[in-house]
Amino acid sequence: MKKVLMGNHAASWGAKLSRVRMIAAYPITPQTHIVEELSEMCSDGRLDAKFLKVESEHSAMASVIASETTGVRSFTASSSNGLALMHEMLHWAAGARLPIVMVNVNRALAPGWNIWADQGDSLAQRDTGWIQIYVEDNQEVLDSVIQGYRIAEQVNLPVMVCYDAFFLSHTYEPVDIPDQESVDSWLPSFEPDNFLDPENPKAYYGLVMPDNYMEMRYRLQQAHEAAKRVVSEVGNSFGNHFGRPYDLVETIHCDDAETVLITSSSATSPARLVVDKLRDAGRKIGLLKMRVFRPFPTEIVQEILGNKKTAIVIDRNCSWGKGGIFADEIKGAINNLSNRPMVYSFIAGLGGRGITPDLIEDIVKQVENSESPATSSEWIGLKPFN
Amino acid sequence: MSDEKPITYHNLGEMPEYVISEASMLWNKTGTWRYLAPRYLTQTPPCNQQCPAGNDVEGFIRLMEKGAIAEAAQLIREENPFPAVCGRVCYHPCETGCNRTQFDDPVAIHSLERVAAEQPFPATPPETGRPDSGKTVAIIGSGPSGLTAAYHLARMGHQPTVYEALDEPGGLLRYGIPAYRLPRNILKAEVDHITSCGVKIICGKRAGVDISWSDLNKSDAVFITVGVHRNRRLEIPAENTAGILPGLGFLESVAGGTPPRLGQHVIVIGGGNTAIDSARCALRLGSDVSIYYHRSRDEMPAFEEEVNEALKEGVKIHFLTQPVQFLTDNQHLAGIQLRETRLGSPDESGRRRPEPVPGSEFDIPVNTIITAIGETADLDWLPPEISHENNRITINLFGQTSLEKVFAGGDAALTEHNVTTAIGSGKLAACAIDAFLHNQDFTGIMPRITIGETGAVSVSRYLNHGDAHKKQGGPGKVVSFEDLNLAYFRKSARQKITTLDFNNRSSSFEEVNNGLSGEVTVIEAKRCFHCGVCTDCDNCYMFCPDIAILKKGPGEEGYRINMDYCKGCGICVNECPRAAMIMEKEQ
Repeated sequence: MKKVLMGNHAASWGAKLSRVRMIAAYPITPQTHIVEELSEMCSDGRLDAKFLKVESEHSAMASVIASETTGVRSFTASSSNGLALMHEMLHWAAGARLPIVMVNVNRALAPGWNIWADQGDSLAQRDTGWIQIYVEDNQEVLDSVIQGYRIAEQVNLPVMVCYDAFFLSHTYEPVDIPDQESVDSWLPSFEPDNFLDPENPKAYYGLVMPDNYMEMRYRLQQAHEAAKRVVSEVGNSFGNHFGRPYDLVETIHCDDAETVLITSSSATSPARLVVDKLRDAGRKIGLLKMRVFRPFPTEIVQEILGNKKTAIVIDRNCSWGKGGIFADEIKGAINNLSNRPMVYSFIAGLGGRGITPDLIEDIVKQVENSESPATSSEWIGLKPFN
Repeated sequence: MSDEKPITYHNLGEMPEYVISEASMLWNKTGTWRYLAPRYLTQTPPCNQQCPAGNDVEGFIRLMEKGAIAEAAQLIREENPFPAVCGRVCYHPCETGCNRTQFDDPVAIHSLERVAAEQPFPATPPETGRPDSGKTVAIIGSGPSGLTAAYHLARMGHQPTVYEALDEPGGLLRYGIPAYRLPRNILKAEVDHITSCGVKIICGKRAGVDISWSDLNKSDAVFITVGVHRNRRLEIPAENTAGILPGLGFLESVAGGTPPRLGQHVIVIGGGNTAIDSARCALRLGSDVSIYYHRSRDEMPAFEEEVNEALKEGVKIHFLTQPVQFLTDNQHLAGIQLRETRLGSPDESGRRRPEPVPGSEFDIPVNTIITAIGETADLDWLPPEISHENNRITINLFGQTSLEKVFAGGDAALTEHNVTTAIGSGKLAACAIDAFLHNQDFTGIMPRITIGETGAVSVSRYLNHGDAHKKQGGPGKVVSFEDLNLAYFRKSARQKITTLDFNNRSSSFEEVNNGLSGEVTVIEAKRCFHCGVCTDCDNCYMFCPDIAILKKGPGEEGYRINMDYCKGCGICVNECPRAAMIMEKEQ
């Protein structure tokens, strides 16, 4: 069934079709529609789930941690400052190896107050142990939430599905909503080996001394390594079942390219137009869409960029004091290759400013006219200094 | 503790994927963390302690809240056979003690008791399970103290006989309290109920005159509760002139249906309840009435409500004025000379002593003067073995006189003179006499049956029934306002009673106060905090973070604490709205 949905409602549908049984959330723009829609689904009986109103995002995450521990598939959503408030609990969810799926609508952090698109909020949670998927369009929002549960429950890691404020959250696109039966036949019900059970009480999340802590944490890292394979398998299986395959990354015209443009989230769509246009003009340019940021697909990035001349990374984020985060991660991934491209890093579109085809074309031109990359990320589209 | 041995992991493959115990933790009773433990403890509500008649106030309100009005009335009768009387004439110290007073307004306990008493009388008094003892008790005086003692002694299986000097039973209830405060049919119904419970009342027999002490002394025990009927004299010139009436005598003649002719202008001397009752009666007989009292309003011993009603009805009260002499004209009363006073240093009663203001004398013409400056007991007939002092029979803590088998109570033995205190002394006497008749030492019993720390005794507890609602097992701390968790209470208006229109008061002895109407009774009862008594509100059950508080089985009230899992955090005790739980060191 195709419907015209805003990105937020595509997320609600993803949760509903995944038959989540517990939702705890606190409202924050631009995420609120997601849980509003879910609360209506709960109240009118379309979704058999407990909707828990909580007093903060910290409590929302704590609540889904508790419900997942009892063996119940759970969902939450947040954004920006709300996600920041969850920080402590995000570590807990991953350390406890709970297959929670949450949606984060990427929004700038304050001050100055800004409710528009910016990846700074979720990238600041890079090291919490969550799988992070950066989504390009509304169809992918719905599909990624459903895939999220299958990935999460296979590797016992929480999954954060991220997409841009307003560009997706409030924008309506046609979305193919799969049948419940179809989803049920693809996504198994959640049946964990262990769950909090009064009949057979076990101690969870207790003290781990130095003699075992490092091993527990190594397990977490191992799970992320395994997740790379699982994300690919799940994306492929999803494609076979629903007709829309997904992977860790997506490549466009990369095979014979000399220059590879690298984007994530909604900025990928205008980049597609630019690459097509430049290809038509005879330029050897390709596009790499970074879909999964954690676990970082190091091997695939190495494989794609191994023999290229130039990589251009556009970041809608900044690690203060360093620069574009995707650019930095890519540099780290290819550093030990003997043949590796020059990596140009650009920061654009912070706080909801548009990343337009013209802007991307300007970036490509600027790279073509330069000898080598600047030491720091270059900021594109700034007002002149005087 | 566990028999489990620590597990050492030697390789990654042995380890769980996340932090979880290898086996069940059922062995680990987390209650071992605790160093203080919660306990359910019924504590004493202040109203219960404050009731001079020892009513289970909280208990009967709880029943009324559920609409069980008849059960509430029967509950009161386990302690007090006079709910209809007390619901009208008691000065309700329970309400003064009510913790709600510090929150908004006290629960209208007095009015609720009256509503309970409107229920039809039960066929029998509350069951005691006591067989006939064959013991006889002579009770001298049929006032509230004597009849209360007789009622409970009959319930306890004895044969009480009440001797009343006057024509009708009731003592001060009948002859002292005017009908507009206590209608005669209401009093008669409760007295009749007492006789139906096995009490024999013989009227017209004055002890020492119509029946000798030696005859009375043939009973297995005697309870003297003759009240105070001798009017105190002013001891000023011309006091024996016709037209000067003793207050209690005046009230008795009004109650007996033969009121004297008063004339237009009446003066009442005094500031106690007899003075106020006399003034309001005189007003109803068509006179204009002024009260003269030698101290100020603050020192007046009369109940405040009654003083207010008297003022509203048109009685004038002049403070700081004392009589000097009565004025006569040809042996007839012509007026009174009074003078102003001012308050000096406190006297032995703690009230400031009135001192005459020299040269302030003034005369007032008057038709009738009623003197009501206090009454004393007539004890001249008592045998010398029964000691008395200042016209009061000397008794020990539990009402026993200098003769082992003779007990005394009511106004003749107490300093405090009011109906409810008299009822309390009747209960104490009944318990003490019962113990005496069974050769038991009452000294050890008394603390167990005392309500709170300073309250009256409880007959239910004496009969080992616990308190009437089976919760308050023994003496306990009185719950203060600070002990309550006010987060769980909302302000709500106290329900008001209606009163007789003022136009109808100057000519009629119709009852002034009406009871609460049916629909507001439950609303008012629900205002009760139930200080110190569990109401199964579920707060402890809901707040316990360890699910260590469990409901008792079906059909049972209350909760139990699973000490295997209680960590002694005290949240249950903190969240109990009404201090029905305590934290304490474990035994």
